[in-house]
Amino acid sequence: MATYTPHQERHPNTLRREHREWLLFALFIGPNLLLFSVFTYWPLLYNVYLSMVRWDFLRPTMPFVGLQNYIAAFSDPRFWNIIWQTATFTVWSVGLTLVLGLMLALLLNQPLRYRNTARAVVFAPVVMSGAVVAVVWSYIFDPRYGLIDQLLGFIGFDSPNWLSDPFWAMPAVIIVYVWKNMGYAVVIYLAGLQNIPRELYDAARVDGAGAWERFWNVTLPGLSPVAFFLSVTSILTCFQAFDLIRVLTNGGPADVTTTLVFHLYELGFVSYDAGKAGVVAIVLFLIMLALTIVQIRYIEQRVTYG
Amino acid sequence: MKRTLTRRELLRLMMAGSGAAVLAACGGQGQGGQPAPQATQAPAVVSQPGSKVKITYWGSFSGNLGEAEQAMVKSFNESQNEVEVEYQFQGSYEETAQKFTAALQANTTPDVILLSDVWWFGFYLAGAITALDDLAKQVNLDFNDYEPVLLNEGVRKGVHYWIPFARSTPLFYYNKAIWAEAGLPDRAPETWAEFSEWAPKLVKSDGSRAAFGHPNGASYIAWLFQGVVWQFGGQYSQPDFTMTMTDPNTLRAAQFYQDTVVKHKWAVLNANLNQDFLGGAIASMMASTGALAGIQANATFPVGVGFLPKETNFGCPTGGAGLAIVSRAPAEKQLAAMKYIAFATNTVNAGVWARSTGYMPVRISTKQTPEMVEFFTKNPNFKTAVDQLPKTRAQDAARVFVRNGDQIIGKGLERIIVNGEAPSAVFAAVNEELTQAAKPILEDLKAREG
Repeated sequence: MATYTPHQERHPNTLRREHREWLLFALFIGPNLLLFSVFTYWPLLYNVYLSMVRWDFLRPTMPFVGLQNYIAAFSDPRFWNIIWQTATFTVWSVGLTLVLGLMLALLLNQPLRYRNTARAVVFAPVVMSGAVVAVVWSYIFDPRYGLIDQLLGFIGFDSPNWLSDPFWAMPAVIIVYVWKNMGYAVVIYLAGLQNIPRELYDAARVDGAGAWERFWNVTLPGLSPVAFFLSVTSILTCFQAFDLIRVLTNGGPADVTTTLVFHLYELGFVSYDAGKAGVVAIVLFLIMLALTIVQIRYIEQRVTYG
Repeated sequence: MKRTLTRRELLRLMMAGSGAAVLAACGGQGQGGQPAPQATQAPAVVSQPGSKVKITYWGSFSGNLGEAEQAMVKSFNESQNEVEVEYQFQGSYEETAQKFTAALQANTTPDVILLSDVWWFGFYLAGAITALDDLAKQVNLDFNDYEPVLLNEGVRKGVHYWIPFARSTPLFYYNKAIWAEAGLPDRAPETWAEFSEWAPKLVKSDGSRAAFGHPNGASYIAWLFQGVVWQFGGQYSQPDFTMTMTDPNTLRAAQFYQDTVVKHKWAVLNANLNQDFLGGAIASMMASTGALAGIQANATFPVGVGFLPKETNFGCPTGGAGLAIVSRAPAEKQLAAMKYIAFATNTVNAGVWARSTGYMPVRISTKQTPEMVEFFTKNPNFKTAVDQLPKTRAQDAARVFVRNGDQIIGKGLERIIVNGEAPSAVFAAVNEELTQAAKPILEDLKAREG
């Protein structure tokens, strides 16, 4: 073991210290980097390669086909339909999560009785397994025995055939998705609400601002960084929604609830077409990358940070 | 005087202890190759020839079917001491095939596997399942006693690859109580024309009951529609993989399917037909014989079954799953797997399985066993299923040999029935998709069979 020598400390060998810092840096970052390389970066690169071959996971050979898989995907009207459906699903799910989440957060920010219980109830679906939630909701949606049918029955309506009707299937999936994920938005909004300084409200009150003006001019700008964060994370997770769709509708009926991720699963693990699945994975990756860049570049500039 | 152990001492003790253990473990070799006498005796017993071969079996059944499958494995394990089968449930047919594909990559394959009608062929092309003829000879398995229509599906170039086990055909199921209420004769309709006359009487005007139910794509509508296509004189494809989805008769069948829901409104398309049938939400349906035992056990009304209705012709496909042995398994395990297959499909057990599930008895001699004769008398419904068997045939290549062909056709049917799109346009697209999907299969087939 090295003994402590004051001489060395006073005249440090800068090169060696730098080395040592690098070593320390590598030591800290190493495990994470290794995990990322093995489970994220390498699959990403390998996927680029897979998108240019024809392979069914079984054949010993993977003939290189260049951009053929891309051409096949882009010239398929079904592919554009699926992109459109993914956009519809994302816009509605994220929009409703953010708006309803805000409303609930404002409500739960009031000094109500049983407020903490209510908060826990709202957050509970977030931690439940997606598959379990989907199974329960498929009973709720049942047009003959379901809870929704019973509730609609009280006001004299028949339940639509939620999961088998091409018009209602997408709304049904969105309803479950929002129900399951809204709690997360509520918790983040609540934290944001706590961080808005009381003095701003007091000042606004002194200036004669009403409840609506206080909300519009104080609460909303104060929450904008939180809303921005939520919109980024919600869009990214929404694009990856799979479990609910798999269990609720399996992408059907007639494809109407097939999103990009579900399509990717179908191509890869139902049709066993690694090449075409690779194309969808790349498209999905590029869309998410583009969205993130846009959000950071343009939207963040307009966000007020308290 | 006692004193408490310090943490450091505890650690030292543990180190010393484990070091001693390591030394002890090495000791056997350190003593001049003279291990203790017991050590030689113990392994010798285990490695004696004829000791138990353990094999892994992947299957796809849950619920009452799963229990029947478990019972079969248990009775095999108890019947002899040479082979021990471990049964592992893998999910649906599709999930089982997915896991097998992954297992081939990861080299964690089972030894014997249940593959459905649409999956075994792909694994045959990939060389993942092995030829069974030599193995069959070693266990004295007589292929001549299997129902030929079922057995021959698993034969390529005169070699057996896929042994029928849980094989089924579609049946026409009807709710006898609703039938009586509507004043209809107690039988399945002879033709679709006849059923079209009956159907309006079976519907409830408030929409709470349809006369007939179609399953969705994921529940294999393309399997049931296979029979209907034949009944209308059409087909999915020719044996050489030329797709015939736009054949006028194929389109006529699709138009009929659409009309039942969109125009006449006496049929519905739903994900869980069995539940709808049991709940009285549909008066009739076509479904697998494999559902018969479960439906009869759970129905609160008398269940009737009959042959599929005719149109221009009679048409009815075979379906279900069979057993295959994995190429990569060592010879000893392959032989053990064959012993299990021979047991599970022998004259007696084919009957046990058929009686507890509703699947076809795959052996010809099973039908003459006293248990089976008695069962037929008590369960005329089951007799119907078996009587229909000689009239069935193997499905078109488009559904069973083209990868995902089943789902491609099924999704097309969903678009026609649920979205009300024109059959000609949808099936033209399906025809093209199937043709594309068939190309690599044809290449593989050429490479495999010449």
